[in-house]
Amino acid sequence: MTAPLAIAGLSVAFRHNGEERRLLDDVALTLNRGEILGLVGESGSGKSLLCRTVMGLLPSAKLQVTAGSIRLDGEDILAGDRFADIRGRRIGMIFQNPTSHLDPVMRIGQQISEGLMRHKGLGAQAARAEATDLLAQVGFADPPRAFESFAHQFSGGMRQRAMIAIALACDPEILIADEPTTALDVTIQAQILRLLMDLRIERGLSMILITHDLGVVAQTCDRIAVMQGGRIVETGEKRALLAAPQHGYTRQLIASHPSVGAAGAHVAVDREGAPLIRVENLEVRFPVGGGFLRKGQALRAVKDVSLSVWAGETVGIVGESGSGKSTLARTILGLTPATSGDVLFEGASLAKDRGATLRRLRSDAAMVFQDPFNSLNPRMTIGATLAEVLKTQGETPPDRIAARIGELLDMVGLERSFAGRKPRSLSGGQCQRAGIARALAVNPRVIIADECVAALDVTIQAQIIDLFRALTATGKLTLIFIAHDLAIVRNLCERVVVMHHGEIVEDGPSTRIFARPERPYTAALIAAIPDIDPDRPLNGGTPTHIQQELAP
Amino acid sequence: MRPPRTAQRRGAEGLHRYRFILFRPLQFLPVLLGISVITFFLVRLIPGDPARILLGTRATPTAIANIRAQYGLDEPYLVQYFFFLKNLGAGEMGRSTLFKIDVLRLIATRIEPTLALVLAGVVLALLIAVPSAALSARRQGGAADHAVRVLSTAGLGFPSFWLGAMLILLFSVKLDWLPVSGYGTNLGDKLVHLVLPGLTIALSLSAVLTRSLRAGMIAGLGSDIATAARARGMPENVVFWRHVVPNALVPTVNLLAVNIGWLIGGTVVVESVFAVPGLGQLMVRGIFSRDYMVVQGVALTFACATVLINFIADIVTVALDPRVEL
Repeated sequence: MTAPLAIAGLSVAFRHNGEERRLLDDVALTLNRGEILGLVGESGSGKSLLCRTVMGLLPSAKLQVTAGSIRLDGEDILAGDRFADIRGRRIGMIFQNPTSHLDPVMRIGQQISEGLMRHKGLGAQAARAEATDLLAQVGFADPPRAFESFAHQFSGGMRQRAMIAIALACDPEILIADEPTTALDVTIQAQILRLLMDLRIERGLSMILITHDLGVVAQTCDRIAVMQGGRIVETGEKRALLAAPQHGYTRQLIASHPSVGAAGAHVAVDREGAPLIRVENLEVRFPVGGGFLRKGQALRAVKDVSLSVWAGETVGIVGESGSGKSTLARTILGLTPATSGDVLFEGASLAKDRGATLRRLRSDAAMVFQDPFNSLNPRMTIGATLAEVLKTQGETPPDRIAARIGELLDMVGLERSFAGRKPRSLSGGQCQRAGIARALAVNPRVIIADECVAALDVTIQAQIIDLFRALTATGKLTLIFIAHDLAIVRNLCERVVVMHHGEIVEDGPSTRIFARPERPYTAALIAAIPDIDPDRPLNGGTPTHIQQELAP
Repeated sequence: MRPPRTAQRRGAEGLHRYRFILFRPLQFLPVLLGISVITFFLVRLIPGDPARILLGTRATPTAIANIRAQYGLDEPYLVQYFFFLKNLGAGEMGRSTLFKIDVLRLIATRIEPTLALVLAGVVLALLIAVPSAALSARRQGGAADHAVRVLSTAGLGFPSFWLGAMLILLFSVKLDWLPVSGYGTNLGDKLVHLVLPGLTIALSLSAVLTRSLRAGMIAGLGSDIATAARARGMPENVVFWRHVVPNALVPTVNLLAVNIGWLIGGTVVVESVFAVPGLGQLMVRGIFSRDYMVVQGVALTFACATVLINFIADIVTVALDPRVEL
């Protein structure tokens, strides 16, 4: 039996003004019938480009296939340029960001039925019936209503379900999923992965799952292909590859996975005295809606939260999107005004004496942001950015500033020559290091890091986590680390605060919380983390109804 | 997941996005009041006395005083404004000193050619802009694209009085295909008379629209929405007309609304060039003869039209883009 998809010797190059750069280099890959193949690698490794090439959807005319073949059931699709017959009908594709890939002005149902009408020749009524049926299959509770809805009326997870329904509309044999869960919360990610696995069994799909998360691969795939710099560096059966990786890069990827590292030794913290930061009955509301003659409503982003953080602690605040964790962090720093309640910084009250407390906060606390590129001024060199902070703070004498910039760059592991470079010429990880250097410039006693590794590749994530661990090891720096990724928090933080719908649902030492969560919500969050060990399945191993039926 | 709802309820949910139609007109009142203040006092800042202009240079002081009293022009401006508002409330805009008839009736007889002209301009502009933007965006960098870009830049640069005169020269004088000026009496005749002035408006309006549409379409062709549609096997034509164009139209509708407001003012020039007996021409005559009532009335009509068009654009935007709530 021929493999449904066989790629051999595939090269894709970027050609512009006589210059040629190879983005895919001699790629060979086979997808067997009914299997899920995990394609892992970091951003820029060419995994998305490979799948775009298979679909004939190269993002620019400057990109060209220079060599190789793509065979679908033995037939070379590159030779005949037969993509029009293949897309949708034989290969379906789902994307990382369903929000930008769904047409916002067209009903979800119509986006499904347009494929049905085109490829299967169905009439409008028949297409509608089949589309409604598909929406039920991907888990919509009210399919007729989902049919009539627009993308913006759905949550992220529902949008991805709709995207899957669109891709499955014409019964493709192969489904390519490009980072389908990266933009989703862990519990939703677990649901979508479960759905994909169920659909694979129900429909006999062969699937390529592109991801940067080895945990996702370990949980879902049969085989793994690892890409680096446009080449496939290693391919193998999942367990064999994870247990005994051959290539150095694969070993590095596995070692970087946050579920692998053991929790580091933590500094003993004295919790007898007064806390450094005390949050008292904090309430933050945002007005939503409302207009000229209508009264708006208030969204309660943070509800009656009380929290104490002692000097030297590393506290992880975790929760899903919309849980209020970023708002809490911003309010602690006085960047977002509190509706009621108070934040005390070493006893100084933000509510009672806002000006003076803010001045103290500005010199003793710093924030590291999620997006390393957009939080650095693109027109200033890293050195100029750091010098600006040092001058504003005024504690470093002018003749010491250059030397201090050098020390800061040393601290975050950047070469001193980076002082003369602009953010544009830096990679994501280097930018984030520069962002941390800026936070350290004020010599802060507290750093609040808001999802500061979420946009980075796993190996870079691991480096930044190591950097934070080194910085906090002295016991002088207090770290409040906000993340949706529980594995990272378990790795780095000694204490975990779990937020849900604006409230703190659990607060305690990470060793205790990860081993014995007290609240069902925390337990569900932890169970949803895709572990890199394939024998520790998602959601604590409860099998799906299909897996149960198939069990001997 | 929310409990299922009936189809009827879904319809109501769609309609609630149009609630703003009920309360938005209330917001027009202060806007229109402001416009009335501005037009009323601006007209009176123009040097010259309407009574003197009406009666000529050899009029006696008594005659002038009589006319001034007859039209209430001898009252202080604030009193005049009060009566202007009071009359407006009763649906009257006063009497024209020049035409000796009620301004409202005068506007009613002149409004049709102007409306027809604006409508012809907008329809022709869309007929030019949508295909040329589509041609340009789908062959970006090609010969057609360059031609469209050069022409639309040129269209922005040419003033309408010059463009109108050139069109008359070509189509009426040289080729003798279309009438030089005026406005017909029956429908067919009127349409023939509207072609050249309509085209004059359309050429400059389509330049603005083409550029906006082209930019939106190019962005749309490279967007994730288009990629996703291609990935589910939609041919390029379907991707373009069903997914790219509707998304590119949304911002263009608002641009069109802003430009129609500007266009209404522009009819003053075009109507003068083509001798179309519309509101723009009436406005010009009103200004030259210091016919305060006429100028006020026409300015207020133009302002109402602009406000109304923006209101319609809001409704169209809500209809085109399900995400918008006003």
